[in-house]
Amino acid sequence: MSAETLSQARPAPPPQPPAVRVRDAVVSYDRRPVVRGVSLDIGAGEVVAVLGPNGSGKSTLLRAILGLVPLTAGTVDLHGTPLRRFTEWARIGYVPQRLSAGGGVPATVREVVASGQVARRRRLSLPTTEDRAAVTEALETVGLLHRSRDSVHELSGGQQQRVLIARALAGRPDTFLMDEPLAGVDAASQQTLADTIAALSGRGATVVLVLHELGPLEPLIGRAVVLSEGTVGHDGAPPRPFGDCARDGHEHIHPHADAAGGASALPTIEVPRRD
Amino acid sequence: MIELLSFPFMQRALLAAVFVGLVAPVIGTFMVQRKLALLGDGIGHVALTGVALGFLTSTSPIIAALIVAALGAVVLELVRERTRTSGDVALALLFYGGLAGGVLLIGLAPGASNATLTSFLFGSVSTVTEQDVYVMGGLAVLVLGVIGYFGRELFVLCQDEEVARTHGLPVRLLSLIIAVTAALTVVISMRVVGVLLVSALMVVPVAAAQQLTRSFRVTIALAMGIGVAAALGGLSTAAYADVSPGAAIVLLAIAVFIAAVLLGRALRLRRGAPRIEHDGPAPGTIPHTETGSVST
Repeated sequence: MSAETLSQARPAPPPQPPAVRVRDAVVSYDRRPVVRGVSLDIGAGEVVAVLGPNGSGKSTLLRAILGLVPLTAGTVDLHGTPLRRFTEWARIGYVPQRLSAGGGVPATVREVVASGQVARRRRLSLPTTEDRAAVTEALETVGLLHRSRDSVHELSGGQQQRVLIARALAGRPDTFLMDEPLAGVDAASQQTLADTIAALSGRGATVVLVLHELGPLEPLIGRAVVLSEGTVGHDGAPPRPFGDCARDGHEHIHPHADAAGGASALPTIEVPRRD
Repeated sequence: MIELLSFPFMQRALLAAVFVGLVAPVIGTFMVQRKLALLGDGIGHVALTGVALGFLTSTSPIIAALIVAALGAVVLELVRERTRTSGDVALALLFYGGLAGGVLLIGLAPGASNATLTSFLFGSVSTVTEQDVYVMGGLAVLVLGVIGYFGRELFVLCQDEEVARTHGLPVRLLSLIIAVTAALTVVISMRVVGVLLVSALMVVPVAAAQQLTRSFRVTIALAMGIGVAAALGGLSTAAYADVSPGAAIVLLAIAVFIAAVLLGRALRLRRGAPRIEHDGPAPGTIPHTETGSVST
C-alpha cells in the first residue's frame, strides 16, 4: 500500500477561509424542498461525514455545494469565493456515486483516471512526466495499477468506485467531495478507501464524505453532520451507536434479497437511493 | 481499381469517401458515448432544408446546408438542454419540419427535381465536383482540428457531464461543439452517403470498433480505419456492380460490425472467462462470522 506516498494537498497556512461554507441553503426538486435551510462551515483540512437516512437530503446537499443542483435560497462559498464566481476547480475533487456507463464506448482505467487532470492541463499539451507520475501514483494508491490497461467496464463495482477515487486523486486537488464512496463496495475496497482518506487527511486535505454509515471509515471521522429531513439534526462527534438498524427513519434496502442462489452468503451491502 | 483511378470523377469520389470515412466515426465516438447516436440523423433531416434553400437561391447547396445544419444543431442542443422531458416532441418537430421543408422548397427551385432530392437523400458521390472536394476537405480538417483541440474536455463531458461541471469545464460550449461538428460532418457526408444514411457512418464503425477494444483512443482509431475501409470498399463495389455507393458503404460497414461482434466474442472466449474479477473471496466462501463487519 503506497497511500503514504501521496503528495497532494499542501498544508494550509492559517488564516484560511473555510473550504466549504453553506448558509441557509434550500434546494427543491419540483417545488418540494429536499434541503431546508442548512448552514455549515467545513474548515480546510477537516474530514467530515455527512450522514442521514435515505431522503434526508445529504446527497442533494453535496450536489448543491458543487453547483450541480441550483439553490432555491441561501449561499455556498468554496474556499472563500461564492460558488458562482469560483474558478479554482482544480482544487476540487468530486467522486460521484458511481461510474456512469454512458453509451458504452470502452475507456481504459488509465484513460479515465488521467481525465481527472483535465482542470489543470492546458489544451493540446501532452502530459508531462509529472502528470503521468500522478496518474500512476493514484492508480497505485487505490491498488489498481495492474488493471490500468483494462476497460473500466470490465471491473467490478468496488473496483469502479476505486477508479473514481483515483480519478479525483490524479488531479491533485486539496478538497475532496465524495458521494457514498462505500455504496456497493466490497470489504477490501472499503479498507483501501479508508487508508487513502487517512493519507489524504494526513497531508492536510479537506474531505467531505456523504455516507449512509461510517463503516471502516469510523476512526477517521472527527465530525459528523447528521441530516434529518433536510435540516441539520446533529453536528459534532460522530453519533456512537450509529449503524443501529433500529434507529428511527433508518431504512435498509438489501439488494437481490430475492435473487436465487448464493446471494444469502454475500455480505449485506446497502444500496441507498440517490436522494 | 487502377483503371478506375484514371477517371477524374472517380478520383474525386474516392477522396470524398476517404474524408467521410475518417471524420464521421471520430465525432461519432463522442456522440455514441454521450447517447446521442441518432443526433446525426436529425441534423441530416434539417440539412435537407438547407440543400433546398441553396437550389432555390441558386447558391451552393453545400454551403447553404452547412449554415442551416449548424443552426439546426445549435437549436437542437439548446432544446435538449432546456427540456429534459418534452424534448422528444420538440426534436420531432425540428426533424420532420426540416425534412418537409426540404421537399417543399426543392419543388419550388428552378431546375431541381425529385432526382436532385434523391441524390441528397441517398448520396451521389459520382457527381461530386472539384469545389465540393475542396469544401469537404476543408471541413474535414476543421472537424478533426476542433476535436483534437477540445478532445480531452469532450472525453470528460461524454463520460459524465456532472463531473465535467465540477472540473469547471464549459459544459454548454462543449455540448455545442459536439452538435456543430456533427452538423459539419453531416454536410461532409451528405454527398457520399446521403442525409438519410449519414448517421450510419457515425455510429456503425464505432459500434464495430468497440467490440474489439478496451481504450477510448484505440476505439476512435479503429473506427476511423473501419470507416475508411467501408467507404473505399463500398465505393469500389458500387463502381463494379453498378449499385448505389451510399448503400454499399453502409451495408459494408454493417458487415464489418457483424464480423467484429463474432470476432470479439471469440477473443473473449479465448482469453477465458469474463474479466470481471471480484476483490473479495467468491460469494459463498466468506466466513459467516465476518459478514456483519461489511455493512456496519
